Amino acid sequence: MTRPFLLSASLADPALADPAVFAPVLDQAQAAGLDLLLLGRAGAVPFDAQVLAAWAAPRLTRMGVVPVIAPHHSHPFHIARALSAIDYLSGGLLGWSPVGEGACVPQTSDMVLATRALWDGWDADTLVIDKDSGHYLHSHKVRPSHYAGRWYQTRGPVNAMRPLQDHPVLVVDAASPVAVPGIDLVIAGEDQPTPEGARVLRRSTLGDDPAALAAAFAAGRIDGLHVDLTVAQLPHWAERFGVLAQPRATGGTLRQRLGLPFSPIPTAQSTESV
Amino acid sequence: MPKPIHLWAFLQGIGHYPSGWRHADATPRDVFSMDYYRKVGAMVERGCFDAIVFGDQLQSRGAGGRTPERLAMPTLDPISLLTAIASVTRHIGLVATVSTTYNTPGALAERFWTMDRITGGRAGWNIVTTAHPDTAPNFGETELPDKSLRYQMAADTLEQVSAMWRDMNAARGDTPQLRPVFVQAGQSNDGRAFAARTAEAIFCPAATIEDGIAFRSDLRRRVAEAGRDPDGVRIMPGLSFILADTQEQAIAKDEALLALADEALCIEYLSESLGFDLTSYDPAGPIPGEAILAGTIMPRADIARALDKPVEQGVPLGLFAARFVRTPRGHHVFRGTPAQMAEMMIAWVEAGACDGFTLQPAYMAGELELFVDQVVPILQQRGSLRTDYPGTTLRDTMGLSRRPAEMVA
Repeated sequence: MTRPFLLSASLADPALADPAVFAPVLDQAQAAGLDLLLLGRAGAVPFDAQVLAAWAAPRLTRMGVVPVIAPHHSHPFHIARALSAIDYLSGGLLGWSPVGEGACVPQTSDMVLATRALWDGWDADTLVIDKDSGHYLHSHKVRPSHYAGRWYQTRGPVNAMRPLQDHPVLVVDAASPVAVPGIDLVIAGEDQPTPEGARVLRRSTLGDDPAALAAAFAAGRIDGLHVDLTVAQLPHWAERFGVLAQPRATGGTLRQRLGLPFSPIPTAQSTESV
Repeated sequence: MPKPIHLWAFLQGIGHYPSGWRHADATPRDVFSMDYYRKVGAMVERGCFDAIVFGDQLQSRGAGGRTPERLAMPTLDPISLLTAIASVTRHIGLVATVSTTYNTPGALAERFWTMDRITGGRAGWNIVTTAHPDTAPNFGETELPDKSLRYQMAADTLEQVSAMWRDMNAARGDTPQLRPVFVQAGQSNDGRAFAARTAEAIFCPAATIEDGIAFRSDLRRRVAEAGRDPDGVRIMPGLSFILADTQEQAIAKDEALLALADEALCIEYLSESLGFDLTSYDPAGPIPGEAILAGTIMPRADIARALDKPVEQGVPLGLFAARFVRTPRGHHVFRGTPAQMAEMMIAWVEAGACDGFTLQPAYMAGELELFVDQVVPILQQRGSLRTDYPGTTLRDTMGLSRRPAEMVA
C-alpha cells in the first residue's frame, strides 16, 4: 500500500469533559481528516483521558483516539483492562500515549511493560464460544504474567481480553520519552532523537507550511505531523492542513488503516531487562 | 397511589445463569461489541429503568491457577463500558463497581469526576472493598487486608475522594450531580454499617419477601441511627427471572436452561466458588472435603460451613456441584408469566420488602427484552412504574437528594 501521511493533533481543554463540547469536536476532527486525536498532553491532562476515550469510542468513524496516561493516574492492571475494553468498543480505533508527569522515564517505561505483559497473558485465539460443546475458551491460552518491575509487580492473568489490535497503537512524545521497544509513533521536533522503528510525526504549529511538510514526507524524513491545539483552533487546523488529508479505508482497525502492523514484542519481565 | 418501583439492570454480559451463554437465543460473542450495548441501552430506556449496573472483579477466574474452560468470561472494565454506553443513550443511569482497596483516592476522584461530567450526571459508584484473595498479587501485594480493615480503608478513602471532588468542583465547575450516586452491596455487619453511613442505594440478595422485609427494616433502622433519612436510600434486591406464557412453560424453560449446565461446567463453577480446582476429581466420588479445606484460597471457616452437611451426607461431588449451580448467590428466582411477575413485584414493594429490583436476566439479551416488552407495560398500567424520565441525572431518576450533604459546604 502507499505510505500514508499521518495527521495527528492533541487537545487538552478542560471543557472536553463537557459532552456538549466534546461531541462536536469529535465530529469536526474526523471531518477535517485527522487520523489521531490525543486527549491531553504532557503537563496538561485536566480530565481522565481514558474515560473520555471510552465516551468517544462509539462515535469514531475513521479517527483513532489516544488517551494520555501518566503513572500516577492508574495501576497497570486497571490500564490494561480499561484500554482492552475501549479497544473492543471502538472497533480497534484506540491508541495510548504514556507520559511521565513527574515520574521518571524508567517508571513510565515500567508502566508500559507491565500493561503489555498483562495483555500478552491472553492469546488472540483464546475464545472458542461454542454453545453446542459448551467450550468457552482454551484454558492453556491464558497465562499469568508474573511481571516484576521495579515500580510495578503484577501476577495476572488479567480479567480482560487481549485487545482487538493485540496492543493499541503506542504513541510517544519525544519530549516525554519512554524507553521501551515497539513504539509505533513518535512525536518529535526536527532535532529530537527518535526511537528506532517508530514512524515520526513532526511536531508542527499552525504557522507551518503544508508544502514543506509534504516535501519532508516525500523525502522520507517524516511520516506525518502533529500539532498541539485548543478546541478553538480546530477549524484553523482544518484550513491549514486539511489539504494533506487523504482518504482512508473505512473498515478495519487503526493499525490496519494507518499501515502499522503489530509486531510481537518478547515479553519483558522487568525494566531491568530492557 | 401505588408505591413507585425502581428498576435496575444488572448485566454481566452473558446473563445470571452460568449456563446462560449456551441458550439458543443468547449472544455471547456480542458482548465485546458496541452494537450489542447500543441495543441493550435502547432496551432499558424503553423499559424506563433507572440504571444499568455492572459488577466487577480484579482477578481472572482460575481456581488453583487453572482458567475454567466452560464459564463465560472475561468482563469489560465497567467504567469504560458504562461511559461508552452513556455516549449512545440519554437517560439511563450508569453504576460502576469499583474497589476502594486497589485504587488510589486521586485516581478514583479523577475517574468519577470525569465520568459524572461527560455522562451529564448519570454516574453511580457501587463501592466495594474487594474480597477475593487472588487480587492482591495483581497489585504487587501478598495478602488481602482483612475485612474490617478494608471497610475502615473504604471510609477513609471515601472521605478523601469527597474532599477532592469538592476541590475539583470549585476549580473546574460542578459536575451535574456534584458526585456519583453511592451504591453499596455488602451483606456482613461491616458492610451494613458502612452502607448505613454512606449508601444512597443498596444491592442485596433477598430470596423471599420475608428476607426482603427483614433486610430493608434492618437497613432503614441503621440509616436512621446514622442520622440520615431512610427515605433517601433505595433498597434494590437482585431478581433473576424466567418468563413464559404459562407457569408450567416457565418452569420447563428454566429446567432446560439449567440442563445446559453440564457436569463439567458445574464442577468448574463450584471450583471458582470454593477457591479450589476440583476438575481432576471423580464427579461420582465423594466431595474431597479435606483436600478442599487444605488447599482453598478462601477463608477456611466459610468454606467449611458450606461443605459440612453434604460431606456428612455423602453427597457425590457431581451432584453437589449441580445443586450448587441451581441455588447461586441467594437471589430470588422468579418463574412464571409476565402478569404474575408484575403482581409479585408490586406485592414486594407494597409490603416494604424493597424499593425496586435489580433485574438479573437468566440469559442476554432475549430474557431482558421479554421483561421490557411484557412486564413493563403492566407495571406502567398499574401506576407502579413511571412512563418517562423525570429529569436528566441519575439522582433525578431515583428521586434522591440533588445536593449530597457532604458536597455542599
